[in-house]
Amino acid sequence: MQAQRHLKWRALDGLERVLMVLCAIAITGFTVTVVCDIATRTIGRPWLWLQEVTMTFFIYGVFIGTAAATRRNDHLYLAVLAESLTGRKRLAFETFNRLVVLVVALCMIYYGYLNFLDGFRSLRMPSMTPLSSLYAAIPLCGILVALFTIEQLVNGWRHGFAEPTGEPGASHGGPGSYPL
Amino acid sequence: MTTNGMLIFLMGFLFLFLGYLGVPVAFALIAGVLAVTVFTPVSLPSIMAQLFNGIDVEALLAVPFFLLVGELMTSANVTVRMITLSQTMIGHVRGGLAQVVTLFSMFFAGISGSSAADVAVLSRTLGPEMKREGYGLGFTAALIASASTMANLIPPSIMAVVYGATGNVSIGGLFLGGVVPGVLVGIGLMIYSHFFGPVGIKRQRSSFGQFTQATKNAAVPLMIPIIIMGGILTGFFTPTEAGVVAVVYILLVAIPCLNRGHIRSLPHDMALTGLLYSIPLITIAAASAFGWMLAYLRGPAVVSGWIAGAAGNDPFMIMLLLVLLFVVVGDFIDAIPAIIIFMPIIAELTQTADIKPVHMGVVIILTLAFGLITPPYGLALLMASKFIGVRFSTAMIASLPIYVVFFGAIAFCIFFPDVVLWLPKHVLPESVGCFKNPGGAGYICP
Repeated sequence: MQAQRHLKWRALDGLERVLMVLCAIAITGFTVTVVCDIATRTIGRPWLWLQEVTMTFFIYGVFIGTAAATRRNDHLYLAVLAESLTGRKRLAFETFNRLVVLVVALCMIYYGYLNFLDGFRSLRMPSMTPLSSLYAAIPLCGILVALFTIEQLVNGWRHGFAEPTGEPGASHGGPGSYPL
Repeated sequence: MTTNGMLIFLMGFLFLFLGYLGVPVAFALIAGVLAVTVFTPVSLPSIMAQLFNGIDVEALLAVPFFLLVGELMTSANVTVRMITLSQTMIGHVRGGLAQVVTLFSMFFAGISGSSAADVAVLSRTLGPEMKREGYGLGFTAALIASASTMANLIPPSIMAVVYGATGNVSIGGLFLGGVVPGVLVGIGLMIYSHFFGPVGIKRQRSSFGQFTQATKNAAVPLMIPIIIMGGILTGFFTPTEAGVVAVVYILLVAIPCLNRGHIRSLPHDMALTGLLYSIPLITIAAASAFGWMLAYLRGPAVVSGWIAGAAGNDPFMIMLLLVLLFVVVGDFIDAIPAIIIFMPIIAELTQTADIKPVHMGVVIILTLAFGLITPPYGLALLMASKFIGVRFSTAMIASLPIYVVFFGAIAFCIFFPDVVLWLPKHVLPESVGCFKNPGGAGYICP
């Protein structure tokens, strides 16, 4: 929460906390459902709907985690060119990078919504729930990513993108980043 | 250049350009795909569906479970017991701590499927101790990063899960096939550290009693690889289920027995892992959309046509060219998106040259694991140098001689498929194309 504090609004800290709790719920949820799947299969009375619930937790977990990772700057990066720059150059690079993320997030919202509407024509088996129930995760993620990106842009322009000296936390590439 | 060729070039250029400018990999991939989609008849909402399809794969559930296993073991400080066991086994030889790093990585690779967890554990625990004993910081970072690549080879491996899930290759077969290259890299690193690494401080050989005690202390965590591989090999669990059983074992047995106080921190571990697993998976989703568009533009057919044109049907030549391609690709792109983006090319060439998919998978995974320590995008080396506190260029120079170990292991895996496939062939015969003998017992392997 304290990492890159200067790029965050305190008002959105609560939302980040909620997203982290949802991440924990998602992973706990599909851990429990997979355990139940093994158990019910072992006793010879499988609950077929468990796999649907598992995938719901899993997919929502991915997209919610993606949004949280955007605020925490925990994504996977190829390079962090902007961090080695200072002044106007850095401002320009950081702004451009975030604008790209913002455009992608807006596409996720708009085209994700169209895809969500399209999803009502397909059903998940065996519950016959529309596929839209899962597709909804994409525009939802887009909204959150857009919100956090705007937050970083506005604060970056006001306070600068560089980490103020002595401020706790690390920028991306630190222990929070988790390349495979 | 044809229109498709130009679009492929544009998509690849945009991804690399934005990625190296500092846009997160997943967003750089999506941006590249969306930009190119505008010039094709494909609808933009269908690209969103591709994002979803990329992760709507049951086998990928294994990724968070193996990450969770690594996270729980590390945060509960259980891994220290395995380090102590490694020290009693090999700490007395020349370059003792360097040998311990490699041996521990082999143990830990059997628990966690990710290099990152390995790098984090070793940098925090053995890194400072190696510094005190006078090992160069560059050597320390290079060795830790190189040893951590074994996590992608020795089962369970997240790369193998992703490769198997996207390429429709037996994940159990890939797990077993990864054992030989994993052990080869481990032995290679030990030989290198012994003959060419720093001497370190000479320690006394541990007594049999100390070894027995350390083994007893590490017995609980060492059960995890047995649970995972035992479940998969007996056919009782899928890799995903084996992962969840390992998680349950840690939660119900390992942590209560070894670090009861850590139970309070479990919600934090779950939240952190919930976040951590989303990072590679959103990249997988984006890479799937990228790979789908690449296939739509007939990119795989063109590239595999070039490779097949140069190599003919010679499987060794095709593998060598693919290794060359992936050494370059692995230098610039993370392994997971690389596997997904290039899977159609791999699949086509595997079929053309009649190579066993598990053999091809093991060679590709080993090559991409090598990419974790090569510049400019050597993620394991980047992390290790950051944690150890040494410049990346210094760590890179120290890792150059270690490349020989990887080249040797890759060449061995290409030219000795029978050795690589020996374990899968005997334990999971169906994974390498064998089928039950209709006329009697045993399997027939073509």
